[in-house]
Amino acid sequence: MNAVPQLFFDAASLGGIYAMAALGIALIFGVMNLVNFAHGEYIAFCVFALIVPSSDAVAVMFLGKAPAILLIPVLLALGALIAVASEYIVFRQLRNANPVAMMISSFALGFVIQNTLLAVYGSRPKAISLWPDLNTPISVAGASVPLLQLIVIITTLLVVSALALLLKKTRVGLEMRAAAENFTMARLLGVRANVVITGAFALSGALAAAVAMIMVTQTGVADVRMGGQIMLVAFIATVVGGLGSLPGAVAAGFLIGAISVVLQAALPLEARPFRDAFLYTLVVVILLVRPQGLFASASAKPRV
Amino acid sequence: MTKLGVFDLEVRYGKVPALGGVTLHLQEGERLFVSGPNGAGKSSLLKAIAGAVSSSHGRVELDGDIITGKSAEAIARYGLSMVPEGRDIFSTLTVEENLRVGTGIRADKQAIEGDIAEIYDAFPILGERRHANAGALSGGQQQMLAIGRGLMTNPKLMMVDEPSLGLAPNIVDQVYDTLVALQKERGLTLLIVEQSSARAARVGGRMVLLRGGQVVGDGDASEFAERDLLKEAYFGQADQSKSTEQVQ
Repeated sequence: MNAVPQLFFDAASLGGIYAMAALGIALIFGVMNLVNFAHGEYIAFCVFALIVPSSDAVAVMFLGKAPAILLIPVLLALGALIAVASEYIVFRQLRNANPVAMMISSFALGFVIQNTLLAVYGSRPKAISLWPDLNTPISVAGASVPLLQLIVIITTLLVVSALALLLKKTRVGLEMRAAAENFTMARLLGVRANVVITGAFALSGALAAAVAMIMVTQTGVADVRMGGQIMLVAFIATVVGGLGSLPGAVAAGFLIGAISVVLQAALPLEARPFRDAFLYTLVVVILLVRPQGLFASASAKPRV
Repeated sequence: MTKLGVFDLEVRYGKVPALGGVTLHLQEGERLFVSGPNGAGKSSLLKAIAGAVSSSHGRVELDGDIITGKSAEAIARYGLSMVPEGRDIFSTLTVEENLRVGTGIRADKQAIEGDIAEIYDAFPILGERRHANAGALSGGQQQMLAIGRGLMTNPKLMMVDEPSLGLAPNIVDQVYDTLVALQKERGLTLLIVEQSSARAARVGGRMVLLRGGQVVGDGDASEFAERDLLKEAYFGQADQSKSTEQVQ
């Protein structure tokens, strides 16, 4: 077995998940200056939507029984729906509140979603098997790679390019980029705030659904708390990338995934349990050198 | 015919009053300069009319329709466009994308392309750099882009906040020449914030003087210019508007 290609595939697939989660956060931060801490809970919600509501340890597939061709669009739509609904119910009421109030509300929203899931599904993690065939390893460039890793890498590239195309080539994309840089100016030019914000939440929620499908297939576990860990990494990625910068979020997502995988392989055995401490030390160093993030967005810079 | 009517308009930032009951009227096709020292409420007046800040009292009428309390994006659809102080160019967008942001409220595809061509005609440098990032433009070019972008919503009334701010005098001339030409050609009504009465008098038009959030003078720009010139002759360079122009 060849170690270097193996590392590459591990890093790229983990980074891809982080990048997609970070994109979901950066999209909303860009248009609303809101760090939506409920994003991780959107992911958990999408995971649990796959199974029949019950508190049994073994999950019975519900939506997860549907064929992929049906399941994927339905789950993406469901992710978009919960994100848009939370905007409508919570964040729209706070449109003119200060960003800290909005951020705290996003925590509250996250707790509400998490506790609703707890009440319905119980607190025990459940074994769940979505597309188990995808974990069969295949041989690529001398490395043994689960098919899923390849799919994650390809999906990430597709999602990122589709998003880039949408932002670059469509009317709503143009309006979202303009609004992300200067919302007031965009509105003075007739850009409808509600359309842009709803669009950003829908995209963000769909990204959460994509992450949910990948995580579930990879880990085979549905856990009410699963959103928290990925949310933390994704949030750090958006900060390292430069809050509000979409290319920055993607790049930093991949970077953190890569560092994480390399540390896992390179650290001496005794130090491995402390991998995250090393990872976040590196993050601190990056932020000390570039406090504005790797790709600071123009809106974050003070304007004269 | 009255294009814009502002009645007893008040704006407060928290408890601080920025505009204390301003009333003014603008006829269709007119050119009005708004002048006054820093903190007089000039920018607040424009922002309140455009819906970028909310007013605490009074009302604004555009073509007889009350637009007070409507959102900025709704007011843009009434045919009002604002070019803000500091220009607020979208620096991560290209020059042409900046122009197109405001076209979402229009359905006349051909006229949109015609307008873009016309703006490139008026400001050739923008045409040359249409695919460049707008953030890379010079201050003067950004001001031209801001004016062009303001025109792309096809406004009937355009408000320009300090177009001369931070620009070299010859560039200011060019900006005003274009504004005047565009106004003639399109029958625009213009409201321009301009500190220098001399500059306003050269361009020509009516002038309103704001101080402490209130209208304290209204007349032809040339009258204000003469008065400022007299003051300067007696008291030296004490006049605030003069000194700002020189600094910049």
